[in-house]
Amino acid sequence: MKTPRIISTIAALTALSALAAACSSKATAPAPTEVVLVAYDAFTPEEGIFNDFTKDTGVTVKVVTAGDTGTMVSKAILTAGNPEGDVMWGIDNTFLSRAQEANVLTDYTPVDEGDICVNYDKNWFASRNIPVPTSFEDLAKPTYKNLLVVQDPTTSSPGLGFLLGTLAHFGEEKWRNYWTALTQNNVKVVSDWTSAYTVEFSGSSGKGKYPLVVSYGSSPPAEVLYSATPIDTPPTGVIEKTCFRQTEYVGVLRGTKNEAIAQKLVDFLLDTKFQESMPLTLFVFPVNPNAQLPKLFTDFAVRPKTPLTISPIEIEENRDTWIDSWRSLVLR
Amino acid sequence: MRWAQAIPLGALAVFFAFPVVTMLASFARPSDITSTLTNASLVRLWWFTAWQAALSTVLTVAVALPITWAVSRYSFRFSKTLIGLITVPFFMPAVVIATGVKAVLPSAPVPAILWAHVVFNVAVIVRIVGPRWAMLDTTLEDTAADLGATSLRTFRFIVLPHIAPALKNAAAVVFLFCFSSFGVIAILGGIKRRTIEAEIFTQAVNLGDTRTAVSLSVIQAVVILIVFTLGTRQSRVTNTSRTTDTTNDIATTLRIPTQRQRRRIVAAVALPVLIVVAPLVAVILRSLRLDGHFTLDGYRWLFNGTTEAVGINIASTLLTSTTFAITCAVLTTTAALMIASAKNNTSLISALTAFPLMVSAVTLGLGLIVTFDQAPFEWRVERWLIPVIHCVIALPLAVRTLDPAVRAIPESLTQASASLGAGPWKTWRRIELPLLTPALVRSAGLSAAISLGEFGATSFLTRSNSTTVPIAISQLLGHPGAQLSQAAFALAALCVLLFTAALRLA
Repeated sequence: MKTPRIISTIAALTALSALAAACSSKATAPAPTEVVLVAYDAFTPEEGIFNDFTKDTGVTVKVVTAGDTGTMVSKAILTAGNPEGDVMWGIDNTFLSRAQEANVLTDYTPVDEGDICVNYDKNWFASRNIPVPTSFEDLAKPTYKNLLVVQDPTTSSPGLGFLLGTLAHFGEEKWRNYWTALTQNNVKVVSDWTSAYTVEFSGSSGKGKYPLVVSYGSSPPAEVLYSATPIDTPPTGVIEKTCFRQTEYVGVLRGTKNEAIAQKLVDFLLDTKFQESMPLTLFVFPVNPNAQLPKLFTDFAVRPKTPLTISPIEIEENRDTWIDSWRSLVLR
Repeated sequence: MRWAQAIPLGALAVFFAFPVVTMLASFARPSDITSTLTNASLVRLWWFTAWQAALSTVLTVAVALPITWAVSRYSFRFSKTLIGLITVPFFMPAVVIATGVKAVLPSAPVPAILWAHVVFNVAVIVRIVGPRWAMLDTTLEDTAADLGATSLRTFRFIVLPHIAPALKNAAAVVFLFCFSSFGVIAILGGIKRRTIEAEIFTQAVNLGDTRTAVSLSVIQAVVILIVFTLGTRQSRVTNTSRTTDTTNDIATTLRIPTQRQRRRIVAAVALPVLIVVAPLVAVILRSLRLDGHFTLDGYRWLFNGTTEAVGINIASTLLTSTTFAITCAVLTTTAALMIASAKNNTSLISALTAFPLMVSAVTLGLGLIVTFDQAPFEWRVERWLIPVIHCVIALPLAVRTLDPAVRAIPESLTQASASLGAGPWKTWRRIELPLLTPALVRSAGLSAAISLGEFGATSFLTRSNSTTVPIAISQLLGHPGAQLSQAAFALAALCVLLFTAALRLA
């Protein structure tokens, strides 16, 4: 009775330790000729873009990702001083202060920018002869009742951007009234960008019911680039006056063992070549003034000259209060 | 051999208990726990979390039992396909099932949530209860029928007492899954219908309030522990009551249904299968339709390099997922066999293996990051950590699948084998192993499925070139542009088809 189980467990153990050995052989310490760039999931640089960096420095770039910006920042705060990599890509202005309070980065600098703006379905408005709304105020008018889908600012970065946009535009006094009006106009709130844009929005792949959606100023070029059938102009447009500026930062993680090479990587990411690759891979605008924009971006992407903005410190100080009040207004 | 289970339990201690305790020690404060208990908006979340989980469980059992009956009683041509079909959702990313459910039921969040939970969890009931039901000697039911008992009476007095322990186990697992549901809620629940697990994620990740998140996860664990303890106590009572009929606990060969029985099978499983399959069919149809036309473009864009522009190589994604799934299936089934073979007569071990179900994935994920951060335990960026964590998460289910099967092997069989001169090894290989094979296969399948679909704790682990299928789908859906979302649905549909085919072949 007993012996066969011994045999089975020994067999099992052997298999287990073989697996463990196989695993640990892969698990050797990172080579000193490697620099680790920590980024959010959606960081998808051009294939082979880091080859030049390796050629110049002899160091390869390993990109590691985990979750969205919020996940990345939460993890970085928990591991501040003992980071998972050397350089961090993509903390944005809504998270910057929180990361700074926890002393996550030794220094930081803007690396790209974009705008969170209301997008509209061109065809929907044209076919009904309804004028496209042009401002926050329009969105609360009866003409545009039941037409707008936004994201929950608690769980979604564009959702937070849109809320901050209304705060920047209406000010601390009046933003609550505006949201009450939006709610009465039956604004649809969903939890994330994917549900809003690819399911509820009528102008993209989901063919939903809502012709107005919170997305990015760079969404129209993406619609052209990844259109099912080749098209010359995007099916969607951007309502410029609703744009809230989102700036992403790059910085050296405090506690890195390769400070010098980390700094070199930051320089590389700010250099023209990488900056020019960003629009069509990451759908963001370069911050380097020498970087040329692709035609698709100059034609269809929107970057307002005077976007709405709020300082990172002000965002961090008030975010919880604003979100709490937003929830009590909108979730009622 | 009881000592062998020390290995999987040791692994649980290292990869589960250690990180979770680290999180508790760093962030749990009694004052935070009391304040999260009295907060009115959180109390509403608790209430919704509990009742939707209870209702989801009841509905899942109702949908699953007819299917379980059919596949564990009869051998028919499409039974493998049937099991495959209902198992597919289990490894599908929440976004896909949710989109499928939404396509059929666009604007009713609560029914949609319940439906999605049923779709996800039917496989759990079928796979845990099925092997147990298959072991019930069919002559018992036949005799009951011969003596004039209706099918309902036969089920109530013959079948139910026999499958009750497995059913309670399975129902407890489904309850726990629905209680800590996250992906489905995030998509279908909108902003008002939220579970505590979703709130834990929001607190920790979006609001940066780790202490509130950990407090919530402590209370969640306590609630789950209470439910679980109640479940185990009941099944122990049932265990003792059924010791009398163990001599009949032999796996009987499945019957080939007669014409009349075939009609009964179709009648019994038609609706449940429709319920589970409709969202999958919706996904497949969606992958073939673009702007109202039939098209295979989504599949073309999947493989012609289109998706690489957003950093997703489909071939390597499929390879990664497959490697993780196989590793997880082997590791988990081995570990579960070690635990189940020890025939622990206390509920201690099954309670221990329930811990990974109790603790929020967010807490575990963050715990891993802060625990394995120092040499020689600097494992947090290692690729192998992902399948190991999948294994920890899959282990409770695997043990629950194997344990009833191990217990159901009557001692008299092995004793008879020994007295007929067979050595212990031969007895194990020729008697016990064949009896355990269906349960082992199910356990491996479940573990692989969990590995393929796991999206909670893994999403906190830092990855490099280890994009799994759910992550690839959600990333493709996370960009504007018809090509990418069409490719995402093609990938999802491909998974439905491939997985169904794989199970059909197995």
